[in-house]
Amino acid sequence: MTRNLLSVRTGPAAGAGPVRRPGRTFPSRRGIATRARLATASMVLPALALFVVMIVIPVGLSVYLSLTDWDGYSADPGFVGLGNYFRLFRVSEVLTAAVTTLIIAGAGTVLLNALGLGFAMLVHRKSRLNSTFRAVLFYPHVLSALVVGFLWSALLGTTGVVNTFVTEAGGEVLPFLSDPTWARTTLIGVIVWFGFGVNLVLYIAGLQTVPQDLVEAAQIDGASRWQTFRHLTLPSLAPVVTVNIVLSLVTLLKTYDIVVSLTGGGPAGSTQTAAYLILSDSFGNSALGFGSAQSVVLMVVTGLLALTVSRLRAGADEAVAK
Amino acid sequence: MKALKLGFMGVVAVLMLVPMYLLVVNAFKAQQDILTNPFSLSPDLLTTEYLVMALSNPDFDIVKGYAVTILFVVLVNALSILLACPVSYVISRRARRPYRLLLLLFVAGTFIPSQVLLIPVVYTLKFLGLMNSIPGFVLFETALTLPFSVFLYSGYISTIPRSLDEAATIDGAGVHRTFWSVIFPLMRPVVATMVILNTFSVWNDFANPQILLGPSSGLYTITTGIYAAVGQYSTDYTVVFPTLLLAAAPPLIAFVLLQRYIIGGLSTGAVKG
Repeated sequence: MTRNLLSVRTGPAAGAGPVRRPGRTFPSRRGIATRARLATASMVLPALALFVVMIVIPVGLSVYLSLTDWDGYSADPGFVGLGNYFRLFRVSEVLTAAVTTLIIAGAGTVLLNALGLGFAMLVHRKSRLNSTFRAVLFYPHVLSALVVGFLWSALLGTTGVVNTFVTEAGGEVLPFLSDPTWARTTLIGVIVWFGFGVNLVLYIAGLQTVPQDLVEAAQIDGASRWQTFRHLTLPSLAPVVTVNIVLSLVTLLKTYDIVVSLTGGGPAGSTQTAAYLILSDSFGNSALGFGSAQSVVLMVVTGLLALTVSRLRAGADEAVAK
Repeated sequence: MKALKLGFMGVVAVLMLVPMYLLVVNAFKAQQDILTNPFSLSPDLLTTEYLVMALSNPDFDIVKGYAVTILFVVLVNALSILLACPVSYVISRRARRPYRLLLLLFVAGTFIPSQVLLIPVVYTLKFLGLMNSIPGFVLFETALTLPFSVFLYSGYISTIPRSLDEAATIDGAGVHRTFWSVIFPLMRPVVATMVILNTFSVWNDFANPQILLGPSSGLYTITTGIYAAVGQYSTDYTVVFPTLLLAAAPPLIAFVLLQRYIIGGLSTGAVKG
């Protein structure tokens, strides 16, 4: 029935009078609408369902578990209110991990961006040699962070290559991974080696939007390289800088794999990050409620930063649009 | 000035490459030679013995590891395209509020650290009976790709003229047909970017397979296998270097061959945070 009406409406016989009575066409339109709605639903729902089951519900579950003392096994978790959150401030392991994470995020962000932007300035012009340099600076990033951590721990361990050289030269074994302060420094160094290529590429993309005629004009007017950079390049890169900084922060706040393989969180827990402690508390120590409280805090901190990104980006976009 | 810059970049390039050089040459040496002559490339020291041993390591069947990881890469990519593309199409073609909220919901997901999700996901998968199983892992890993895919795809689709949809509709194509045979083929560049990104993130992922495919599943990806094989012998370099080399080789070879696309894809992905 619907078919017939439809073919009458669009087909060559559209002029045929009797079938076009409004009373008749109405249900057919509704039929078409229903069908279109079903088609739309079949495009939206599978993705939405998967997203809800695997991400939205787990986030909710995390919040709920953080209010309980669940160990992962017992039948019903005891409700402890905000107890886990208050405990966060009293457990020294958590505080150490928070400090470590913030150090990594802070120092890492500064280094990733300083090196990313610095090298971008050196290699952003298009040439075969520059693209080789770019590839060489970027390549560690295609490896898994786990492999990178194991590789560096083999190179920097007490019997590793670097220490072989140091001892041959008459020095003492350097505690790259066995002294807390050294280990944190090493961890940040390896993270930077592994990741600054990405910042480099983003900065190169940004530099391509800096108006070259202005740069040339400034140089003709006798501006030094530093002046050109400081007063021309950097201001027009502002949005890119902001994005890079906040993205580095967000990425570094969840540092995990590289800790597992490079230091295993040691020595004496000095390189345990928030993400590392969350997983070891939750699964290793059967403290799911407590681990969930840490997760929620990490999620909120990351979320706030993300919000900052979009705010700042909105501003930057406007500035660029002018 | 120019010579200075070249010299400096040369030194930096060497520093960047030295770890990789050491990984490669020491994968072919005995423990004693690694300890005393790590940099040497002398042919008398080199042997493929340890590489062969790594291939038949009883703790980790690396060939099976490749197969399992490739399977996951293919499944996640296929499922991700199948799910994320149509929903992005609907989102970018409808201006109404619910669809904008839907986009916001997906995009919010890009900023949730996946380690934070792992604990509750374990119990969600247990509830569904999918814990320690391939479907469970693939579904979660696919869900993780959705936020950024939807963000990227819907942005791209809105640059494709609507007149193409209208033409297809007038020719009698339904929504599905319009999307898959008219719009989807035009999305090739953005889908390629996403495939590169997802391939690397699945290949390199460690925490998710380690926990969602526990030892009871008997399934090891490259990373979880490396962890099982290398973690316990970290000072036996004749295990460490060859195993790491076997794990690092495929992404490095891919990088050498597809450098431009991979740099583009991975740095697009960095923007997702």
